[in-house]
Amino acid sequence: MILAVLPLSRFVLGLLCHLSERKARLLAVVGWCISAALTVLLILETRDGSTITVGLGGWPADLGIVLRFDAVSAAVCPLVLLLELAAILYVRKDAPRPLFYALLQFLLGAVFALLLSQDLFNEYVILELLTLVGFLLVGYDRRPAQVWASLKYLVLASVGMGFFLVGVAVVYRHTGTLNLGLLAGILADQPDAPWVVLAATLLTAGVAVKAGLFGFSQWLPAAHSAAPPAVSALLSGLVIKMGIVVILRLSQVFPLGATLQLLGAATALLGVVYAAYARNLKRMLAFSTLSQIGYLALGLAIGTPQALAGVLDYAIAHGLFKGLLFLAAGEASRAVGSGRFDDLVSKRAAIPNATVGALLVGTLGIVGLPPLAGFGAKAVLLGSHPNVFVATILVLTSIGTAFAFAKLLPLFRFRRAASCPSDRIAAYAVLALPILFFVPLTGVTLPSLQLGSGLRPLLVVESVGAIAIGVLLHRLSARRTPRLPRRIFFLEEAVLAILIGLLLVYLFLSV
Amino acid sequence: MAFSVGVVLFGIGLVAIAIRRDLVIKLLALGLTNAGSILCLVAVGDRPDARVPICAVCRDVIYADPLPQAVVLSAIVINFAILALALVFVMRLVEQYHSTDSRHIEDLVQRELDEGGDQ
Repeated sequence: MILAVLPLSRFVLGLLCHLSERKARLLAVVGWCISAALTVLLILETRDGSTITVGLGGWPADLGIVLRFDAVSAAVCPLVLLLELAAILYVRKDAPRPLFYALLQFLLGAVFALLLSQDLFNEYVILELLTLVGFLLVGYDRRPAQVWASLKYLVLASVGMGFFLVGVAVVYRHTGTLNLGLLAGILADQPDAPWVVLAATLLTAGVAVKAGLFGFSQWLPAAHSAAPPAVSALLSGLVIKMGIVVILRLSQVFPLGATLQLLGAATALLGVVYAAYARNLKRMLAFSTLSQIGYLALGLAIGTPQALAGVLDYAIAHGLFKGLLFLAAGEASRAVGSGRFDDLVSKRAAIPNATVGALLVGTLGIVGLPPLAGFGAKAVLLGSHPNVFVATILVLTSIGTAFAFAKLLPLFRFRRAASCPSDRIAAYAVLALPILFFVPLTGVTLPSLQLGSGLRPLLVVESVGAIAIGVLLHRLSARRTPRLPRRIFFLEEAVLAILIGLLLVYLFLSV
Repeated sequence: MAFSVGVVLFGIGLVAIAIRRDLVIKLLALGLTNAGSILCLVAVGDRPDARVPICAVCRDVIYADPLPQAVVLSAIVINFAILALALVFVMRLVEQYHSTDSRHIEDLVQRELDEGGDQ
């Protein structure tokens, strides 16, 4: 009962927000409070590691839609609440925005629904809903760059979801059910059937378009950098993780390990290379999101329970610091009047101190300085004994991230500057405090997965070493930034990239 | 049979999205891909000599699987919404740039971003 209320309350509130624009801010707070109360209730109820399962409408599991609150939902729901609170606080003093709060409610309703869903077609519907709402939010200010970015997003996501739907059809044809739990049981008997490979390919490739894997998600840099700051924070911190959640659920049914390893490695490295040579702050953050998604995919590829715990921790940590960075980057770009690094550095006096502080905390988090969030989560991931290939990619990505974010170093000077509205400071604090005092959530709920203490000093050395090498490389490298090919992010090339990616996934899965 | 027709439609739409540069044609092709994927889903519920699954007493007749037919309604509605919204945004782009050529619009947007130091 509670499970269905969690997402549904948001859709009702979204309608109410639309009907009375004046009360929208109040309704947004009400929505947050309802979800927070329900989440606390559910987490308390499942703290012994159990799950809550509800079959909607009393239908049996093979026909009806099943909702389940499990470890994944318990881990991600608090992140949803924190990011939403920060976003509400951030936009509170802005000019009234018709429809904005309603869209926000729909977005969060869909996010909660996806976290609970255990049904393939249900997940398809929710992913499409996320696409639609995300599309409207990216193009919210109707600037041409935003409109174009969101149109590309819509076309590519729609193509991806088309593949997903065909995959759903293939699964239903051969099993007669769309319930993930039942599917896992059925597939355990026939893991190598040709239709399993086909279904796994179509489903994975379809979600990869939404999840931000390189080659599939060529819409991401433009959309996440063009969107308004609060929207970028939600999209990059939250919505993109929903794709990862679906891939996680798929990887528990289909044998995706080797494929995710390849996709994850490509995404992590290419994303970080593009981030390193971006000239615009928000664009750099968007590319960095790509590389971090690769990180998560690599974690999923390892596939052990501890690696999955690490993936969840890292998804939460990344949501926190990328949300914070996007909010602060939006504020900084607005204060300076441009988002380019040259302009930001030359006019850094205009950036309020609180914003600089937020950028600093976010940067330290993302490069993984102990004991902040990035390190805590990465430690769980690296401590889960990945193979040499995965470990190498993880370390290289850390170095690349430090290299990319070293461009922000000239900004970190505190001085007497324009003051920052208290709402903004509160929004930063909501995200910055959990980054500073990060406790790996899965380490609390699953104490057996906590790291052996012997590994910890080694991880600290690795982490600090990667940061040092990254910053050093930045200092040594030439000042001019090479132009990387942009064409692969055009619409036509992006569709071709999805097709090539699909073929590669198929080949990789069938070998 | 219907399933393969669905796949073919999906493929034609996909190729058109990838090679035609006109945005309106791209969206038409997107509609074709969506129709193809929906057809695939409906086709899955088919059985030999099946009847429409609307019946008062259907104990002894073969009828098509109603589940794909039920869920496909959501997919149709969603795809309709996507096409409608996408066309609105194309209209916005045409007002701004007086063109529906995707490559041309991409260039213009890039130039604006490069010159304006846009946020």
